[in-house]
Amino acid sequence: MSTIESDKTESKTVNFDETNLSPTRPSGDSENDGKIVFLLKAAGGAPILKKKKWALPRSKTIGHIVEFLKKYMQLDVEQQKQLFLYVNQTFAPAFDTTIGAVNDCFNSEGILVLHYTFTPAWG
Amino acid sequence: MHTSLDDKEITRELWQSRLPICFILSDEDKSKINRSESPEPLYLMLARQSYFPCIIEKLHRYYSTYFKENLNDTTNYVNFANLWLEYESIPLKWHYPIGVLYDLYTSSLSSTSSYLPWQITVHLSKFPESEIIRFLDKESIEAHYMSTVKEADALKHKGQIIGDMQKRDHKQLWNSLLQDKYDGFWNINNKLMSYTENLQYFRYIPFRIYILDKPFIQKLFSPYDIDEEKWMTLNDLLHFVLNHEVQCEQLTNEKKILNTNINDYQVIIHGIQPSLQTPIQWLSEYFSYPDNFLHICLIEKRS
Repeated sequence: MSTIESDKTESKTVNFDETNLSPTRPSGDSENDGKIVFLLKAAGGAPILKKKKWALPRSKTIGHIVEFLKKYMQLDVEQQKQLFLYVNQTFAPAFDTTIGAVNDCFNSEGILVLHYTFTPAWG
Repeated sequence: MHTSLDDKEITRELWQSRLPICFILSDEDKSKINRSESPEPLYLMLARQSYFPCIIEKLHRYYSTYFKENLNDTTNYVNFANLWLEYESIPLKWHYPIGVLYDLYTSSLSSTSSYLPWQITVHLSKFPESEIIRFLDKESIEAHYMSTVKEADALKHKGQIIGDMQKRDHKQLWNSLLQDKYDGFWNINNKLMSYTENLQYFRYIPFRIYILDKPFIQKLFSPYDIDEEKWMTLNDLLHFVLNHEVQCEQLTNEKKILNTNINDYQVIIHGIQPSLQTPIQWLSEYFSYPDNFLHICLIEKRS
């Protein structure tokens, strides 16, 4: 059962792979073919990802990233329910928020940092 | 920014504003009822500022009675998690305030000029997985609400005010909204509307712009131009946002580029078309929803 919103044209991209959410060259550029570059960091004891730096088109949503992490980290059903994604270490945006909107408001010196955790860390 | 006591009355008016809504069970679900009579339409007056999950139990109770008698059926046809609402073929998102959904969709889609009571179709099956998120429990809408308030405060005050509040203050915001207690709400919300860092305005205005068939748009926008020493208006905000969004679209080679001509849109907040010359700081203090965001609907005029 998917609880993620995605627009109809993209329903076939459920098997999120790295062509969608691609690790970037560590160039430090904030713009990457118009993609948003962001860091995924673990918090609250969540396992750490080998790749920290990722890039996504602006129109992709927080829901896409959560869905990707569930598969990428091979979470079990209970962990999937508990996965939270935080901005600024303060709030968890709704799943239909685009990464473009989050970036425009909350990137810090050109880089956007998202924290993932299995507990509502900053709830 | 100069404001008067009378302006506060506006927040009370907005708090009290209600929408008459008529809920009708979908034909498909009606056909599964094994009683002779099918449910009458259900009429409710709902606060624009509220959320549909706050009345989902009422809907659930109402329709359950029509399916109860089928004792052999243990599948429990009326299941919370399968319930969804639809208007003009659009599944309604649970986490948008009711007033925002109404303003965005009735103005854009209705074929008639009179939309009231707002007719919404209730579905108990065939959940549109790919389009909306399931409603899980009452706690999740509360968590969503609090998260949005925190986001707003991150923009307005770097999160300082919400961070200094007690957990019970957070609870009071949500419970006052649920129980329709204006004074209880504003006792706490006044703090969120104050200024920090010796400013006379918010650092950035929490706002979201809704346009049909697009994800909502959100950007950083300061209500005061220090260089020009001038208060920014709703018009300034829209001009900035639309043009910035188009630049982003061009960068990513979007095919359909947004219309940036403000005159081609109806600008609606709380069902009202405010003057475009209204200072955005004033709007943020008096016209925000209880989640502290200005939810602005842009309805493209039909030519």
